[in-house]
Amino acid sequence: MARNETAGVAAARGLRVRPGATPRLAPGQAANRRNMRTGLVLVAPALALVGAFALYPLGFGVYISLTNWPLVGPYHFIGLANYESLIHNSVFLQSIVFTLKYTAIVTLPILVVGYALAVLVRSNRPGSTVFRTLIFLPYIVGLVAESFMAVVELQPSSGTANFVLSKLGIVSDTTAWLVHTGLATTAICILVIWYASGLTMMLLMAGMQGIPADLYESARVDGASWWSAERRLTMPLLRRSIALSLIISVVGSLLAFNQFFIMTDGGPGTSTESVVMSIFSTAFAQTDVGLASAMSVVLVIVTGLITFVQFHYLQGDED
Amino acid sequence: MASVRNPRRSTGSRGGLALYLLAGAAVSAVFVVPLLWEIFRSLQPESTVTTPPSGASFSHLTLANYKTLLSGQDDIIRNLVNSLIVGVLTAALTALVSLLAGYGFGLFRFRGSGLVFGLVLLAFMIPFQAVLTPLFLELHSLHLLNSLIGLALFYTMFNLPVGVYVMRNSFLQVPREIVDAARVDGASVIRTLVSVLRPLVVPGIATAALYAFLFSWTEFLGALSFMTNDSLFTLPVALSNVETGTYGSVNYGLLLAGAVIAMIPCIVVYVALQRYYVRGLISGALKG
Repeated sequence: MARNETAGVAAARGLRVRPGATPRLAPGQAANRRNMRTGLVLVAPALALVGAFALYPLGFGVYISLTNWPLVGPYHFIGLANYESLIHNSVFLQSIVFTLKYTAIVTLPILVVGYALAVLVRSNRPGSTVFRTLIFLPYIVGLVAESFMAVVELQPSSGTANFVLSKLGIVSDTTAWLVHTGLATTAICILVIWYASGLTMMLLMAGMQGIPADLYESARVDGASWWSAERRLTMPLLRRSIALSLIISVVGSLLAFNQFFIMTDGGPGTSTESVVMSIFSTAFAQTDVGLASAMSVVLVIVTGLITFVQFHYLQGDED
Repeated sequence: MASVRNPRRSTGSRGGLALYLLAGAAVSAVFVVPLLWEIFRSLQPESTVTTPPSGASFSHLTLANYKTLLSGQDDIIRNLVNSLIVGVLTAALTALVSLLAGYGFGLFRFRGSGLVFGLVLLAFMIPFQAVLTPLFLELHSLHLLNSLIGLALFYTMFNLPVGVYVMRNSFLQVPREIVDAARVDGASVIRTLVSVLRPLVVPGIATAALYAFLFSWTEFLGALSFMTNDSLFTLPVALSNVETGTYGSVNYGLLLAGAVIAMIPCIVVYVALQRYYVRGLISGALKG
């Protein structure tokens, strides 16, 4: 059951939507017509909200990106000029490079740590459900509150981070984490890995619990070691769950905003500015809504493509 | 939730179990102790929070940060109430709209059903972070900027793909005979839902509402963009003002107390209702 449901999550990402529900025909033509109208009425509010706040803004965004739309005042069409200027926009290009680097740094640790945690909590030994709950708490609390806490604890001389790390002889207790590009990025990456591993743990654990136990039984009879069963049995069967957790973590990283806005505000300079921050400040600080929308369109296309490629690469020959 | 367990893990000696508990406790500590430590830190006076730690840091604990934050000029109570209003409204709207849509998709066959369902799920593929500016302009023209209702509607939309998916699955699992029996008895569509189907789909409703509340409570970027009036800020946005010292000098004691206030409801709600959350995690999907 768990495996089917995980497959459902993939469908929810819109990647492989299975052909509709079980047909449930009502007897009789009149009943059928009434059925149809009732069905439409029931789903109408959901459709209206999704249309108004997701599909319409997407189309509207593409339209705005072809204009020189300021936040207030008249606008006119300028064709692809916004997109052309993006190629020379060093702040935007830098934010893309920075976001890709950040994504590259955190993705593998989140997967590996999450996998190891899933191995720890997937059993039905006493304590495993409690561990599961505790390890998942940082994800539940959310990165916003945790980023505020991290700001306080990363202060030179007064923060807990320097206090502990200087006792261990790793850094000096006057290290100013948040004003150096490299140190700030390091701190944020560690925070994010700590925050996000619990989610990967939950997704992989659900996948692991869906693997039939008799497969392990026969592997053990064949004399397979724990590690080889893990590698030859669990990992291939877990492909779908791994793909899903990778997609969620990569897309999440590409859309990162909170931790950078709160902890460094993109600084020093614009060296830790993520793509979404760049869009945010172009739209609301420079009030160049046309350009910000062009950036958004690029981001939608890139995240969509990466999702698509990852999914197909990891799904590959399964069917 | 899991129908099959790995038997190789359930067997093991008493020593093995002790080792397992020890390892599990150590790993759990890595994830929980920092959060507990911040609660402790928020109870230190502001002067202790911003000076190098010493033995004295542990002896003097006070609620001063909380008292300052919850009284007087910072007005964080208003932000707390805003967050609560938006959170409850988002949870209620998400539950209601998902319930109706799940009922429609699950038990009624109509032309375009597959297409509409696909469109709702497609919304999940559109990162709202990337359509922030058109959304801003749209909410502006609808007079929904600086509106708690506008924010709740936006959050509801974001939670619908998960909610609708979970609810549709709940309705698909309803035995066919129950629906037929209600129909033969002449029960109306709504009456069937309220009196016959309700008990069967309550867990799904809880899942949808819980997701929506937690999302709303922790959301930052949308609230930051769509609210420009201080008195309408939600808690996370108000905290970013505390962080930058908009209300005067920067006070890290207040910031920690505020972050703890933001954290506690998440933990309480999650721990109380976690089986619904895990259910949704497995059957639904997640915020990107």
